[in-house]
Amino acid sequence: MSMFLQFTVTGIAVGLVYSLIALGFVMVWKSSGVANLSMGQMLLLFAWFAYSMLAQKGIPIWLALILVLVFSLAVGWLMERVILRPLIAQPILSLITVTLGVSFVITGLVSFLWPKGIAALPRLFPQNPVHIGSAIVSQEYLWAAVISLMLFALLSLYFKYNRTGIVMRATADDQKAVQACGIAVTKIFSRSWMLAGALAAISGVLMASIGGITFGLVDTGMRAFSVVILGGLDSFLGAIVAGPIIGLAQMVGGGYLTPLTWPGVNDVIPFIIIIIVMFIKPFGLFGEERIERI
Amino acid sequence: MLKLNNIEVAYLNIIRVLHGVSLQVEDGSIVALLGANGAGKSTTLKAISGLLHVEDGAVTDGEIEWNGAKIHKKNAEEIGKMGIIQALEGRHVFGHLTVEENLIVGSYNRKDRGAIKSDIEMVYDYFPRLKALRRKMSGYLSGGEQQMLVIGRAMVAQPKLMMLDEPSLGLAPLLVEEIYEIIRRFNTERKVSVLLVEQNVRVALGIAHYGYVMENGRVVLDGTADFLKNNEDIKEFYLGLSAVGAQKSFRAVKHYKRRKRWL
Repeated sequence: MSMFLQFTVTGIAVGLVYSLIALGFVMVWKSSGVANLSMGQMLLLFAWFAYSMLAQKGIPIWLALILVLVFSLAVGWLMERVILRPLIAQPILSLITVTLGVSFVITGLVSFLWPKGIAALPRLFPQNPVHIGSAIVSQEYLWAAVISLMLFALLSLYFKYNRTGIVMRATADDQKAVQACGIAVTKIFSRSWMLAGALAAISGVLMASIGGITFGLVDTGMRAFSVVILGGLDSFLGAIVAGPIIGLAQMVGGGYLTPLTWPGVNDVIPFIIIIIVMFIKPFGLFGEERIERI
Repeated sequence: MLKLNNIEVAYLNIIRVLHGVSLQVEDGSIVALLGANGAGKSTTLKAISGLLHVEDGAVTDGEIEWNGAKIHKKNAEEIGKMGIIQALEGRHVFGHLTVEENLIVGSYNRKDRGAIKSDIEMVYDYFPRLKALRRKMSGYLSGGEQQMLVIGRAMVAQPKLMMLDEPSLGLAPLLVEEIYEIIRRFNTERKVSVLLVEQNVRVALGIAHYGYVMENGRVVLDGTADFLKNNEDIKEFYLGLSAVGAQKSFRAVKHYKRRKRWL
């Protein structure tokens, strides 16, 4: 029982971080129709950047985290302004391929700048584990869950009440009509890339504080893709709901099956779930209903 | 005042669709742009609003002047900030946003935040039906309500020139009358110029002060609304009234092209 509780808590916590990454993906997808294939690599880059601020430069934690956030916003802005905007009228496949190219560039850059390839972030959260019922969970998981939930709340308020947030949703619906209102959609794109960058940075740091900095963070990004596909490419709600599902499947299923089968089975389980879901609901669980009046 | 001076528009640098269109919209007037499908009416509006660039089109010759400034090289954003707002053809509402959020998007570029609330109320004044629906998702509105919303969204942008692309498209005649009456009221009460693209010549000339008839990328006829209403060709080809009132023979139809006096 304590095992089950532990798997559940960690599964939900990790899943919520997946949701964060997925949100960054969905945001860019919805506003500009570009699938950002470099999400996992962005995670890796920001985690290493945080490492070099915290461990190598020894900057105080609060300042370092602000710097990481600023850096991630800048990277998001650069992605849109320098790499994607010149391609704006090109076929969407070219844009997606460019993000794939960016992912290779980042991988190379990371291996070049931090050749040791593996590191542990300095502790950001208190160390002593927490007892939940009979389970013992280290605090990183709980903090990750709390921070993710807080960000969801903030983001949904932003999209509901902030004027720019509303325009971002409008852009997802009808780009041309937004332009007809005299609004520069490029500014909206750039805003969504910056937000995606910030989400990648936050989730990168959270994941790194849980599992250390390795190239495995790229796989974490991949797992966020499965969250996105499960939840529906264009659905924020889907991303939030599907994250914990994938996290739970991975932790609970993996936790019980690994002793019975082979190590690494936990990485396969999410994808099996996705395949089943795709058979039943090809647009994902919450793929946006196409509003069509008959 | 808006002035188009002999503009030519080509898509992809190859397909020329406007061959020298000139027209002007005086401040505070309603101008109708009439013509059949493919005449180049919508392209003319997009050339003015800067939306051509999105569709790989460009003004290749001539110039567009807005209050003395040349605007044909500017993009949609700059032109929108100068007070020219276009409502697209075919009810482009933001389907997943509520009615009120749609209006907020319309007012996004305005600096005077305080006045936006009262202007959204103004739209509800003009379209009381929208007020009842303000919290509803706009994708589920009826066609007429969506058209009202699109016009309302252009209104809250506080335009100096509002361009409407076929506001009557697919609407019941009574509703068309209602919407046109509101456009006329908006024009007189707010002193906003209106440039109107329309296939429904009768209603358009009902509120317009001046009209242009386009065909194959050219302006073939222009004049005051009264002049156009009484023009024999307009009567026959657009209002469906035969000159003699007799039944049309197929011979007459065959001579369609030749009988137009402006060609």
